[in-house]
Amino acid sequence: MGEKLTHAMEPHNVFTMNLFGLKIPVSDLVVTMWVIMAVMIILAVFLTRKLTLIPNKRQNIAEIVVEFINNMVKDAIGPHYWKAFAPYLGTVILFLIFANTVSIFNIIPGGEEGFKLRPPTRNINVTLCLAVMSICVVIYAGIRYKGVGGWLKSFAKPTPVMLPFNILDYLIKPASLALRLFGNILGAFIVMELIYMALPVFAPAFLSLYFDLFDGILQAYVFMFLTSIYISEALE
Amino acid sequence: MTGTGIIAIAAAISAFTGIGAGIGISLATGKAVEGIARQPEAAGSIRTSLLLGAALAEATAIYGLVVALVLVFLKMG
Repeated sequence: MGEKLTHAMEPHNVFTMNLFGLKIPVSDLVVTMWVIMAVMIILAVFLTRKLTLIPNKRQNIAEIVVEFINNMVKDAIGPHYWKAFAPYLGTVILFLIFANTVSIFNIIPGGEEGFKLRPPTRNINVTLCLAVMSICVVIYAGIRYKGVGGWLKSFAKPTPVMLPFNILDYLIKPASLALRLFGNILGAFIVMELIYMALPVFAPAFLSLYFDLFDGILQAYVFMFLTSIYISEALE
Repeated sequence: MTGTGIIAIAAAISAFTGIGAGIGISLATGKAVEGIARQPEAAGSIRTSLLLGAALAEATAIYGLVVALVLVFLKMG
């Protein structure tokens, strides 16, 4: 059982890409993210085709999503600067919602060895990459709206004694963002795998509502929310 | 006692981080419900800060989970 679990947790190579003589192994995490990206791009193009002043059905869905994201970012960052950060934060939350809940779209029966859609955020490299991107946006926000001098001065606030802690902040924030997302998704993923092994008939239908859907969407929201809080801190 | 047993006990101990997170989240939720009962019009902003506080308090439990997973899956082999 432990071996089966480890096999499900670890990324495995799907194929090896040959790029100018370099052999690049492509894992199932990357392939899953490609699938998510393709679905998101197709949805975005499909929902925003032929925009009109009086929205039709498809445009209504797109407007609800965009307004929901805009309102959340406006609440967190404030009415002055939100426009610069809403596109990035919206992309992150949409990608994370798809990435965290992708295992419920596992409709193609692949058997034990076949390709399965599993959440790519169960690997710490993916979440750490997203967290580093977020902290880059935070640093960009500080430099863009306060200038390099103002950003450097913000390290010595409120008193110069706080300097080491303010520097550490930029290391701890991405680490905590990455570990929170990774731990939550991996934990939920392991619990679901154990349920599939123990009670494969009836229980997964209900428990997957909590562990896959609710937990995944909540963690995507928390990731985006914390990033916007950090950005608004950097803008103060 | 074998090395595997000690690692298993260490992983079990690291799961005790859940106690702190449970107490923290329950305190925060209790206070938030009190606040909403007293001032129902402030429910929106209370919910947002509750979610943030719960996420931050939960992080400690998640660190415990990560440590337990590392111990079980990397050390036991």
